[in-house]
Order: sequence, then C-alpha cells, then structure tokens
Amino acid sequence: MTTLIAIVFVLGLSVLFTAALRAAAGADVAGPATAPQQRPVLGGSDPQTHAWQRFHVRYYTMTLLFVAFEMEMMFMYPWAVVFVEEGVKALAEMGMFLVILSVGILYGWREGIFRWE
Amino acid sequence: MSWISRLATQAPVPVFVAIGDDAPPQTARLALHTGLTLVDSPRAAAILLVAGTIPDALIPHLHRLHDQFPHPRASVLWQSSQPDLLPAAIVAANTVDIVSVLTETRDALLSGAHKTEPDILPDAPLNEWRRIGPHGQGGEGMMGGTPYGRPMAMTADDMRDGLKLDAYTADFGPFLPMFPPGLVLTLTLQGDVIQKVAVVHPPFDVDWNQGVSLLRLLGLPGLADRLLRNGLTASATQTRLIRWSGARAAIPPGLGRTHDGSDVRDRFDRLIADPANPKAPHIDGIHLTDLLVGLEWHEAMLVLNSFDTGALQRICANGGDGDDQRDTETIHASHVGHGS
Repeated sequence: MTTLIAIVFVLGLSVLFTAALRAAAGADVAGPATAPQQRPVLGGSDPQTHAWQRFHVRYYTMTLLFVAFEMEMMFMYPWAVVFVEEGVKALAEMGMFLVILSVGILYGWREGIFRWE
Repeated sequence: MSWISRLATQAPVPVFVAIGDDAPPQTARLALHTGLTLVDSPRAAAILLVAGTIPDALIPHLHRLHDQFPHPRASVLWQSSQPDLLPAAIVAANTVDIVSVLTETRDALLSGAHKTEPDILPDAPLNEWRRIGPHGQGGEGMMGGTPYGRPMAMTADDMRDGLKLDAYTADFGPFLPMFPPGLVLTLTLQGDVIQKVAVVHPPFDVDWNQGVSLLRLLGLPGLADRLLRNGLTASATQTRLIRWSGARAAIPPGLGRTHDGSDVRDRFDRLIADPANPKAPHIDGIHLTDLLVGLEWHEAMLVLNSFDTGALQRICANGGDGDDQRDTETIHASHVGHGS
C-alpha cells in the first residue's frame, strides 16, 4: 500500500512539475510554426529541392566493427566466471568463438574499415 | 512583468546579426560583449540586428530571415539608409550605444511594451499543394514529382565512390554565419560533399578578420575572441597559444591550393603570425568551382574563410562553368513565395 501511495505521489508531482513548466514558459503562446518558419534556415535563401532524400550511411562499416567487438565483450564477462570452474575447456571454447569473430574483423579490414574517410 | 520575464532580463540578449554592405566596423566586436549572445540561427534569437545597407537584390532574403524568428521578436536597423527595410524595425544611428539599444529592446519585448513583429511574408507554403495527380504535383511512392512546386531530390553521380544517390540543391547565404557576409552560392550536395557551385551574389566589401572566422570554424571560440580583442596586433603569447591548440593540424594539408602553391594552412599561419599583412594569394583564373567541388562542407567553409573579401570577390568574378552561372535577377524573380 505504501509503495502504491509513493508511486501515485511521484506521478502527481511530475504532472504538476510539467504543468508548471509549460505554464511558466508559455509553451502554447507562440502557436504552431508558420510557413516561413517551416523553411530550412539557409541564411535567407530557399532550397530548390525537397529535403526528403537518400544518402549513403558511410559509417556502416564502423558499426560492423563495433558489433564484432561488442559481442566479444558481452560473452567474455560471464565466461570469465565459468573459466574458474571449467579451466582449459572453457578457454578452448572461447578461443573458437574469438576465431569466428575475428573472421568478421578480417573481412572488415579488407573492406577498409580502419581507413578513416 | 512576471517573475520569469524579470529573470529573463538578466540573461544575455540573443541576437542574430545580418551583416550588410558598409556595416559599422564595430559589428565584429559585438561578439566580445558579455551582455550579448551572438547566435548562429534565427531560431535561437529574439532580435535581428541588421548592420549596414542591404542591396535591393537581397531584401527578399532579409524578409525570409526575419519571418523565421520565433515570437516575440524585434529587429534593429543599425547605420542603415533604408528605414523602410523592415516595417516595424527600430532604427539606430551609428553614434548610439547599440548594446544598450538591443538590451532595452529585449526588455521591452519581455514586458510587452514592444509588441512582437508580425510576418512580412504570407503564411502560405512556397507553392500550393495540389494533391497527387497527373500534372506532376506529387510523385508516386517516395520519389518523383514536384510536391509543393519543388522537385524531389533525384539520383545523380557521386564523385566520392560512384554510388549514385540523391543530390540536394539549394541557395546558401547571404546571412549564413559560416559564410563571408553577402555571399550567396547555389550548391549541389551529396551528403556533405559539394558537387556543383554557382555564384549568385559576391560577398560584401566589409572588413572581417578571417583568422577569427577560421578559429571559430575550428571550434576554438576562446582563441577567436582573444584574437578579436587584440585586433591586428600580433602577440607572441597569442601565436603560441594558437600553435599549441593544434588548430593548424586540424586543417587538411593542401586544402584550397592556389596557383602560387599556398593552401589554407599557409594562409592561416600568415593570418595568425602577422594579421596586419595577410599575404595576397595568386588567384588569377581560379574559379570557385576549382576550389570547392569535391570538398566536404567543413573543408569548403575553411577555404571560403581563408580569403579576404577582395580576393573572394575576384574569385567570384572569375565565374565557373558557364552553365552554372545564373542571372541574379532571374533567381529573385523565381522566388514566388515572397509577398513583398
């Protein structure tokens, strides 16, 4: 019961705080953005094409590298605990896992992951 | 005045400066005043300060800029010979203390004594929406067509790795903080790589410290302010601080090379070591296209800000590819959304 009262109290307090902030800032006074305000800020100029466009996510190779290393670390923490009990067997298993992941890293290397563009 | 408005009057005044022709020489030093915050976007400002004269061809640009300010807003014309440039603007002579004019205007805005300025342009889209249909108003699916009268970005050659993706074309300037004042360029971008450049309006003939601009672009505003405070006087401490900051190493070598072999690094060194005598680069026959095409946005901004006004005006006069050059009047006539 005490927990429920605390939750309701915190919820009420956050609603009050948000309402007070909105009232103080006059959040609705300015109203919705007008057509000139919706244009992109180009220093007084106008765009000639729509901004809706496709462009290359050039950091995707970096994300591949990140995922490879992150997966390593994710499994190595619990493995460190098991290693104490299992010994060499756990070491061999982790070695195999790292070899498979390093194939991904080698592939990335060939693709130019480490070249900053 | 409510307590929160009174509290807001204690904060620095957020000002966006639109620098015109013959802007007062003190304009650059406004950045040093603690009572003001010079912001980079009209969306973060309460006051538009127009310094100097705006040529007739660029008045529509100023009106567009004015209407992008959030309410409550005000504008101040400083040393302007065009009192009807902005209908509700406060006119300030060069002799007055502009900082106190700006502070009083902000306080009046907050207290309600100065009413917020209405829009100059109509509150309507640039082109009318006429639904998807057979007349090219809106395309099928994601691509194609001209919704709101503007074409969708379509695929074009990419000079970086040949992967064809959408090219974005827009006019940039004349009141863009990272551009030299008055410069308007039509740029075609793929991501952040510049594919095409055309000059619409050359920069104004105003004195501005390129060393300060370069330091700001390199993310060193403290050193930029220090350089601005010292003016054109070189000091050993200042040169040493800038050298230790690593700013020079942040500029790619060979960037913006001219006929005499000098690049942005060389021009930056000269601006820092001897600000009073910047070396005149050899720019005969150099087009802006030669300098900017293929560069990423931040590199292009470093190149533009490494030249003094005179050199940049001559480069703009050199033109570029004939097809890219467009007549200024034609461009302004095509801005159908402008109501004035």
